[in-house]
Amino acid sequence: MNFDKDTNRMEDALKNALRRREAPEGFADRVLTRVAERSSATPVVLRHQSWLRLFAQPLVRGAAATAVCAALVVGGIHYRNVQREHAEGKAAKQQLILALRIAGSKLQLAKSKINEINVNHVPADQTGNQEEKE
Amino acid sequence: MAESLSAGKSTVVAESDFAEIVRRHQAMVFSIALRFLGDPAAAEELAQDVFLQLHTNLSRLKSEEHVKFWLRKVTSHRSIDCRRRRSLPQVSLDEAPESAAPSRTEDPMLSRRLRQLVASLPEKPRLIVILRYQEDMNAEDIAEVLAMPVATVKSHLQRSLAMLREKVTRAIGEVTI
Repeated sequence: MNFDKDTNRMEDALKNALRRREAPEGFADRVLTRVAERSSATPVVLRHQSWLRLFAQPLVRGAAATAVCAALVVGGIHYRNVQREHAEGKAAKQQLILALRIAGSKLQLAKSKINEINVNHVPADQTGNQEEKE
Repeated sequence: MAESLSAGKSTVVAESDFAEIVRRHQAMVFSIALRFLGDPAAAEELAQDVFLQLHTNLSRLKSEEHVKFWLRKVTSHRSIDCRRRRSLPQVSLDEAPESAAPSRTEDPMLSRRLRQLVASLPEKPRLIVILRYQEDMNAEDIAEVLAMPVATVKSHLQRSLAMLREKVTRAIGEVTI
């Protein structure tokens, strides 16, 4: 055969020369063993992946996004309420302290008035008693 | 199994189906790697890695043809990477016995010489020749697998054929098959 003149024969010769070879004996078993080893070596990762795979579905992704938004809104409202109650409590406390101070000063004033009255009346009583004894 | 693979996007392939896929395509994957690398041990290791990668990606493959295309593509690219990463011993193809019986029209001496010459080609042309004559792929499919223009594939094929023809003619001369 002259290869210069016969391209088809050259191609046939190449096909013959490059025919597929069988894989070594036990090849498939070795692959399956490696797959099994890898699967058992990374169970947590695989579980994680299968769990995350849920989010590949648009419906689940949308539901998750809605849930996150709702949680943010509810959390924001709750936080604002807590802040408002805290401010109101603080103001009430201030008002109570002020009221107690005012009441305290009034009591002090009343006490000093009573003392003053007592001081003015005591000597007259004591004089009367001495006269009765004599 | 073929039905389950072509069932559509939601295809889930069972372990038994995966084993069947390995058995069906092991010769193809091993042979591409072997012809390219020229080292049976490295070819087996590479072929095993390709099937492990396939196991991870199987749920994304939609049909039997898709699996075949994917295997050829990944084996080709991994072979090039492997060759560049490691300096493998050049062409021990003749030391490994040919397991398939030679065809009646085959000249063993010519085939051995051709295998040696193919193994001596540069990376890309070698892979193109392997995919064309071992896998019987056309230039368009080879271009898709190797992500290169069809014209480049055809050009590599023509030049490789011319070179092989010239060298074989020089080495063997007039040969009767």
